[in-house]
Amino acid sequence: MCKVLGLLVGAAALAFTIASAQAKDEIRVVVGFYSAATQAIFEGMAKDFNAAHPDVDVKIEVVQWDNLQQRLTTDIAGGNPPDIALIGTRWLVDFVHNDIAEPLDGYITPEFKSRFIESFMAPSTINGKIYALPVAASARAMYYNKDLFAKAGIQNPPENWDQLVDDAKKIKALGADIYGFALQGKEIETDAYWYYSLWTHGGDLIEDGKSGVGSPGAIAGLQLYRDLIDQGLTEPEPTGYNRQDIERLFKQGRVGMILTGPWLRGQMKADAPALNYGIAQIPAGTRKATYGVTDSLMLFKSGKHNKLAWQFLDETAFSPKWRIEFTTKEGFLPVTKVEADAPVFTGDPQLKAFTDMLPYAHFAPPIPNWEQAADATIRALQQVYTKQVKPDAALKDAATSIDAILKQ
Amino acid sequence: MGSSRVDPIRGRRREAGQLVAPYILILPSLLLAFWIIGYPIWDLTDMSLHSVTRFGQLKEFSGLANFSHLIAEPLFLECLIRTLVWTFAVVGGTVLLSIPIALILADDFVGRRVLRVIIMLPWAVSLTMSGIVWRWALNGQSGMLNATLYDFGLMKQPITWLATADTAFPIEIAIGILVSIPFSVTVFLGGLSSLPREIFEAARIDGASGWQRWRFLTFPLIRPFINIVLVLNFIYVFNSFPLIWVMTQGDPANSTDILVTWLYKLAFRYGKLDIASALSIVMFLILLAFTVVYAVLAMRNEREAG
Amino acid sequence: MSRAGRSVVYWLILSPLVLIILFPFAVMISTAIRPRAEILVFPPVWLPKEIRLQNFVDMWQAVGFGQALVNSVIVSAGATALCLIVAIPAAYATSRMVFRGRRLFRQFLLVTQMLSPIVLVLGIFRLMVKMGLVDQLYALVLCYAAFNLAFAVWMLQAYFRTIPKELEEAAMLDGASTFQRLWMVFLPLAAPALGVTATFVFIYCWNEFVLALTLLRSNENFTLTFQIFSLVGGRYSIEWDNVMAATLLASVPVAIVFAKLQRYLVSGLALGAIK
Repeated sequence: MCKVLGLLVGAAALAFTIASAQAKDEIRVVVGFYSAATQAIFEGMAKDFNAAHPDVDVKIEVVQWDNLQQRLTTDIAGGNPPDIALIGTRWLVDFVHNDIAEPLDGYITPEFKSRFIESFMAPSTINGKIYALPVAASARAMYYNKDLFAKAGIQNPPENWDQLVDDAKKIKALGADIYGFALQGKEIETDAYWYYSLWTHGGDLIEDGKSGVGSPGAIAGLQLYRDLIDQGLTEPEPTGYNRQDIERLFKQGRVGMILTGPWLRGQMKADAPALNYGIAQIPAGTRKATYGVTDSLMLFKSGKHNKLAWQFLDETAFSPKWRIEFTTKEGFLPVTKVEADAPVFTGDPQLKAFTDMLPYAHFAPPIPNWEQAADATIRALQQVYTKQVKPDAALKDAATSIDAILKQ
Repeated sequence: MGSSRVDPIRGRRREAGQLVAPYILILPSLLLAFWIIGYPIWDLTDMSLHSVTRFGQLKEFSGLANFSHLIAEPLFLECLIRTLVWTFAVVGGTVLLSIPIALILADDFVGRRVLRVIIMLPWAVSLTMSGIVWRWALNGQSGMLNATLYDFGLMKQPITWLATADTAFPIEIAIGILVSIPFSVTVFLGGLSSLPREIFEAARIDGASGWQRWRFLTFPLIRPFINIVLVLNFIYVFNSFPLIWVMTQGDPANSTDILVTWLYKLAFRYGKLDIASALSIVMFLILLAFTVVYAVLAMRNEREAG
Repeated sequence: MSRAGRSVVYWLILSPLVLIILFPFAVMISTAIRPRAEILVFPPVWLPKEIRLQNFVDMWQAVGFGQALVNSVIVSAGATALCLIVAIPAAYATSRMVFRGRRLFRQFLLVTQMLSPIVLVLGIFRLMVKMGLVDQLYALVLCYAAFNLAFAVWMLQAYFRTIPKELEEAAMLDGASTFQRLWMVFLPLAAPALGVTATFVFIYCWNEFVLALTLLRSNENFTLTFQIFSLVGGRYSIEWDNVMAATLLASVPVAIVFAKLQRYLVSGLALGAIK
């Protein structure tokens, strides 16, 4: 009897020591999925940090972008937020307003701040305070199919919208299954596809604290797209095509021009290596413009290991080694100066089209309830694309809805 | 009632035991349901009566304000009507198709086993994946459906099926019916297998026609199972999220939105957890009303009504 | 009509439905066996130029199919067992015994079905955090069992009522104990209902996604449906060959379960035997 008891006690003691020896500080990092490389990249960062800090265990969780917002909401609501999260920077405003995001000014040293390219810090600065650090940046440009252009006898990609319309007509004439200009009408970033036209026609999303989607520039921008559809210069029934659908059309070589981001380059290499394409600036209207999007890493006010989490960001996540690794593998634009100077980027001519557009980049306005405003815009766009409503009526409605949303 | 025993004490204990027995038997299920679902229901009700931040933190008590905001939304009525159309169409279509299919599959014929497995196949794939595969097949440009119809000369121009509600919604209803058939057929098969063969033999010998056998024997006897199928399907389809979400996300311009897809947008895209909770409660009340009305009207004849 | 004649008629009547049902599977197979370069081919064709069965192997590794499969089996089988264990006594009570609150009990169970899981998700997560069950497969087993109780009790109860009491009473008179009665007389007669319920719960658990998304965190715990959905949701570029291959393989266990369980859906056989 005593022997059994002794064994039990011994086993319990052993288990306890093992357990406490393994009781490291755990840092949970939740990131969105960019590609098959994402998990490996962040696991690599974790490994480096764990090796340098044996009493810390960094755990990486990769979540699909579609579910990321839902996941974070659930985690926070359940009182179980991660220590570090990758978010779309446009979500940051809500996190700040609800007192969830940890202000980072107290952690940022001048040295750290100097690593970054200034313009990318702006979206994550709210009320003068920095709440998140940019990690993935993209600007948008126009991809065009060089083979189709050659067949249609077009020398250079269009520089403004009028030239684009002409070029699209020539490409359309090439065949029944070939389209001049891809137009996205479904799902996420349907609004962004129109923002290119909005901004280049002189409109803005927010003007004087009110919605700018009902302005003359906005209406002109939408009328252009409507005309393109009416003249058959886009794929038929754009509301049936989301971003991947139009990108697929481009990969199949059936579309002359498409407006999208740097990720398509990687996909082209994998899915359509033989296709001859070029990258040019988004056609100008009254001015040049592009859409700048950043994703950022943030800390949580309720986090229990913020000092350690910061160390992870400082030493590993934003180290030159991992910044270059991330941006190269995922195909984004450099956010830190050391990346921008790295040969792998300076020697890349395609990247130039993107980086040249950076001075003209517009970002999503830092308003709360951004999703609702975007959805109101998408609703208006879809009504116009399906020819149910005219551009001015649809946009004026959307502007009124968005004004109401802004007031909430 | 059991016959009384010689031993009076044991008899009384037995009676007491018989009184308590049912409660002991249902206790585990009550516990499980209360434990897992009860708390979230309470949580939900709590949220619907307060103003809630995007991240589920309750702020001040707001009484019925969330509900009045909800009802005032023009989208509410639109989605409600569309939800009812969706539900009645899918459930009606499913039941109308499932009964004959089950009757056929219950009969003995060559290849019955194969046919049974085939009819059940849509069930083997999750709703989300079904939606994804169908969406892929319905793609205007690279979808197999258009390609096949074109090859057979049934189509001149490819139709972008999911581009507008006029084509997308009926398709969603059709696929909804398709994926609901396996469950309903299975329940009916289970019910049909409870019917003793002898009475059918007797009826046939007595000269009853097929239709008479159906109307006076089969139909009344599988009535309880029809009730199960109707009520449960109504609830599942009313709340069915994956199909419509994957195929159109309720768009274009909210034209295929039903209450539950709108609910998802409210809760997880716009972060309006308070209004979303109120909407859930309203949806729940609608379903509750339906089951009560149905129980009164249709299940009156069941010995254990409701 | 002869058996052969009946067979032809039945197959003819159901052939349009069979075609529609098999269509998506044909699409899946067609996409799963082609090399990636041929996925984008236009116009789309049924048979690819090259058949690449290697896709299935690639997919197996990319998705972590083996581990996810095990997880799905554990969760589905576990929840099915738990649900049945809890539901059978409750169904027995509501079908055989008269007691106060019987109607209320049934309505309560039905009520638990009526709320959309989408908003219940927050409450469930908070509950699981309190119980420390986040990222545990047990949490899913409990939830799935609870969510299927209403159907299980209702289906079982409806079927139990069709089993004549005389059979049990005969066994009682023969000296069988309650447990023996239940196990050897009652349950075998209820086989079709048990079969249907088990099938339903198993399939529900196998295909469920929202709760798995909310409660699971580590890669080694993810269920199959979750992993497959990760291949599709919110990606910049979807690998359709992997998606279709994974969906096909994931539907095989369910088809097997169904093929095995449908055997019990026979009419009148069991009763006839007893008589």
